[in-house]
Amino acid sequence: MKHTQGVFFSGYVTIKVHGHHPELFFDLCSRNGITVWNIKKTEAKTCIGNIKLEEIPQVKRLRRKTIFKVSFIHKKGLPFLSNKLFVHKPLIIGLVLSLFFVGFLSNIIWDVHVKGVHPEMEKQIEKQLSSYGIRPGAFKFKVQSPSKIQKQLLDDIPELLWVGVTEKGTTYQLEGVEKTLVEEGEKKYPRNLVATKEGVIVDMYVSRGQPMVEINDFVEKGDILVSGTLGEKEEEANSSPEEEKKDKKNELVSAEGEVIAKTWYKSNVNIPLKANYETLTGQYTNKYYLRSWGFSIPIWGFKNPGYEKTSTEIVDNPFRFLKWELPISFVKQTVYEKTEKFVDRTKQEAKSAAIKQAQKNLQSKLGNDAEIKFEKVLHEREENGKVKLTLYFTALENIAEIQPISQGD
Amino acid sequence: MKKWQQRIGNWLTEHLELPSDVVLELPRITTIGQIHAYIENHQGLILFSDNELRLKMKQGYLKITGNKFVLRMMLPEEILLEGTIKEIVFIED
Repeated sequence: MKHTQGVFFSGYVTIKVHGHHPELFFDLCSRNGITVWNIKKTEAKTCIGNIKLEEIPQVKRLRRKTIFKVSFIHKKGLPFLSNKLFVHKPLIIGLVLSLFFVGFLSNIIWDVHVKGVHPEMEKQIEKQLSSYGIRPGAFKFKVQSPSKIQKQLLDDIPELLWVGVTEKGTTYQLEGVEKTLVEEGEKKYPRNLVATKEGVIVDMYVSRGQPMVEINDFVEKGDILVSGTLGEKEEEANSSPEEEKKDKKNELVSAEGEVIAKTWYKSNVNIPLKANYETLTGQYTNKYYLRSWGFSIPIWGFKNPGYEKTSTEIVDNPFRFLKWELPISFVKQTVYEKTEKFVDRTKQEAKSAAIKQAQKNLQSKLGNDAEIKFEKVLHEREENGKVKLTLYFTALENIAEIQPISQGD
Repeated sequence: MKKWQQRIGNWLTEHLELPSDVVLELPRITTIGQIHAYIENHQGLILFSDNELRLKMKQGYLKITGNKFVLRMMLPEEILLEGTIKEIVFIED
């Protein structure tokens, strides 16, 4: 039976043979190596049977030598089917185009919703988003992941406290929470300013309240620097009659001001004498791929950039069809050039690098307002190719901290 | 001459256990109940109709009668017959 297997795919025809003893024609065919099957005698002079599509010319050649009349009655199989299909070419073209179109539209951002913020902010967010390439009509696979957008938005719009970005098919929904700037509502509440750490007062700018310390005073942590209770100081000292009126009232205010003090810091730094680290040179090349089922087909950037050391970043954006992700994705690969740097420091160089590093660390801890000065090296040791230093710094910083006065009502 | 050939053939099948259909050029007919008949090694088709199939053999004919006959497949020297088989008759001439 294997002779007629798969005959559907290659196509076959049913022929009708007319003449005296029509079965003999099929016999003739089979003797000449033509496969014939399903032979039926319908009438005394007619016989029908199937032959393969590719063997029709041979059958025709044989028929010429005989007096039988052969006609084709059925055509079956894939070649005929596809032929039939190709008759409706516009239909197929339309179908392919429409699939393409739907696919194309599924990869486009249709809408961006911003919720939870007032219109002014909404405009700003939308503007920012469109600068990232997120606006209706933009291609989706150029857009980063929602979490990255979220982070970027928070960095670029400082007024935003939180923003949630969700991607729902072809729309982006953003929900934002603005920072409500507290308009010093606490002004009304009486408060003191106390020291956050010990130090020597260098400067004071008190705009409201009673200063309790003076320049060059040493304060401990928790000491009251500016009191919210007016007239307190006078109470302690023997007050003059003029001021007695005031301290009876003991007016409570919200202390306000800045107290700059000199503070001390000790920090331990380890720094190796020999070090190697990698830096990016800033040179990079982009490569684009189409990836499906683990296979990558490069579509742009075939050249090998010829960098000695590289670090690669891969961004994978899958294509979509309606709400489904297709197994095909657009991959952008960025290859950065890297250089390795070896540093062989002398002890002196290591020391200065350590000081710089420690100062930087301290600055980030204290904030930009603090003024840090290196004083001296307290301790120095060399061990296992590393220099261990204990450094001493002084800083000028604001040490005032708000402490509310409990009114005891 | 023919007789002599047949004698050798008979001897070969008996003593060397060669398949008799090959050596003697006889048809091999395999039937599955009444519904199928598979005929190999025939010498040609003489007659085929709805209720009869006649095949040439080296000596004489093979006649199969029945009804609703369809030749499922036809290859040189092989025929698969389908239908309801009533009898298989060997006709010597």
